[in-house]
Amino acid sequence: MTESREIEKNSEKDFIINIEHLNKKFIVDKQPLDVLKNINLQVRKGEFITIVGHSGCGKSTLLKIICGLVGYEDGVVERNGHAVVGPGPKCGMVFQEHRLLPWLKIKDNVGFGLKDLSKEEREVNVKKHLELVGLAGFENSYPAQLSGGMSQRAAIARGLANNPTILLLDEPFGALDALTRIQMQKEILSIQEKENTTMVMVTHDIDEAIYLGDRVVVMSARPGEIKDIITTDPIESKSRGSATFASYKKTIYSYFFEDSQEDYEVEYNI
Amino acid sequence: MKKKSIQKILLGLILPILIVVAWFLATNYGNIPSGILPTITKVKDSFQELVHTGTLQKDLLVSFGRVVKGFLMASLLGGVLGSVMGMFEPVRDLFAPIITVVRQIPIIAWIPLIILWCGIGEVSKVVIIVIAAFFQVLVNTESGISGTPGKYVEVAQLYKLSPWETFSKVYLPHAIPQILVGLKLALSVSWMAVVASEMLAATSGIGYRMSNARSMMRADIVIVCMIIIGIVGIVMDRLIGWLFGLLTPWQKYEKKEK
Ligand SMILES: Nc1ncnc2c1ncn2[C@@H]1O[C@H](COP(=O)(O)OP(=O)(O)OP(=O)(O)O)[C@@H](O)[C@H]1O
Ligand SMILES: [Mg+2]
Repeated sequence: MTESREIEKNSEKDFIINIEHLNKKFIVDKQPLDVLKNINLQVRKGEFITIVGHSGCGKSTLLKIICGLVGYEDGVVERNGHAVVGPGPKCGMVFQEHRLLPWLKIKDNVGFGLKDLSKEEREVNVKKHLELVGLAGFENSYPAQLSGGMSQRAAIARGLANNPTILLLDEPFGALDALTRIQMQKEILSIQEKENTTMVMVTHDIDEAIYLGDRVVVMSARPGEIKDIITTDPIESKSRGSATFASYKKTIYSYFFEDSQEDYEVEYNI
Repeated sequence: MKKKSIQKILLGLILPILIVVAWFLATNYGNIPSGILPTITKVKDSFQELVHTGTLQKDLLVSFGRVVKGFLMASLLGGVLGSVMGMFEPVRDLFAPIITVVRQIPIIAWIPLIILWCGIGEVSKVVIIVIAAFFQVLVNTESGISGTPGKYVEVAQLYKLSPWETFSKVYLPHAIPQILVGLKLALSVSWMAVVASEMLAATSGIGYRMSNARSMMRADIVIVCMIIIGIVGIVMDRLIGWLFGLLTPWQKYEKKEK
């Protein structure tokens, strides 16, 4: 107990996100279902963390716990040194499904979290972020008028609009074509550098995880445990053709296959 | 597209035309006393007479006024309680059982008690309408609000919206289509309730006119009133349908998947 208190004190300065010994169960059909097991993860301010793991291993749940949408009973979860008790204004999230509100125009969806701004400031902000994701001119459309990829980009714009210090991204590029995807990856990196946003991104794309992540968290199949955290080289990981890049890839794949031998339920989402 | 809608209208007209023809044949060539079924011309004449003397307009206005009062009150009460029940589960658990029971009582069964309590004046008619319409609005509002997908509510939680903002930006827009269904039903039962209550105890209104005409064996006036009630009903229904389109502009883009 005292030990974890001390770690808490240290983390206050160093870590914007601090997770220790987190376990998470869901009750499904009155049976407990272990989803996350002994998760330990410390994230420094401005760091880019990517998370890869099999479908259903608890990645989305982990992000929701970090932003305070899902509760936890066991372990420590802190943002900025304070135990997470609910959503906070500076912790944004881009959901796995875009979750645009069907009854709001795109501009109102993107400006959804902008409560304290004047009308003009809001408009400028929304316009800027729509341009950023390549959706300028769609301010007055409704979500039903956008394609899947466009909706996802609008959701990213919403996540960025209120300038969060922590942004959690749950497979934000899943519905994008390869080219737009690479474009968006660059965009998100440049935002991260400019604003020094701390990003935690879940992805199914291992290349993307290596390219974007300062560290790549590899999770096991359910119950999700952290198998390894791979710190990538900041320069080598940005060139997809490099040998180092390939070696990271190989390491991550090996974890996946290791899993598939033990667990016949595994899905191949690589 | 155009062709289809014309075909739709034509198909819809077949039965009304058949009924009018049958009516015409029965009254002109059959042997039916006019106190039971008057001729079409007779009905048309009494219609003109009623309009000319202003009776019809006055009756309609009186009934309509009652409907508007009762309907608005019921919508307000049902809308507020339905919303609170839809958003907060404990409130729902508190009210749902008794509402389910009371809702089963037909509106006609309320009338004796309401007359005992409120007399046969204006108040009792409005109260009857409120009771009839209230449950329609309540039940539909509650189900529309509580049916709001959790994934949208989560977005509101994420951005720390106040309960009021969550209601106005998430729950309410989701529920609008169903609330409008409730309002449509409420309006139609309001009409029924006002006519029923006026037929039982009143000295004015379209229901009174009908029961008065019946006691004088004036089937022609009864039929005029019935037709008018039908027409007003459909006009109000269309009005709400139009309001529906106005309030839910996003719906026309949504693909009809269901
Ligand atoms: N609210 C909930 N109630 C009960 N079980 C849940 C709930 N949310 C998630 N689960 C279960 O928890 C497990 C992990 O779900 P989660 O959505 O976190 O997986 P994931 O890693 O994001 O998967 P994917 O890659 O497919 O998105 C799943 O088995 C799921 O069925
Ligand atoms: Mg997920």
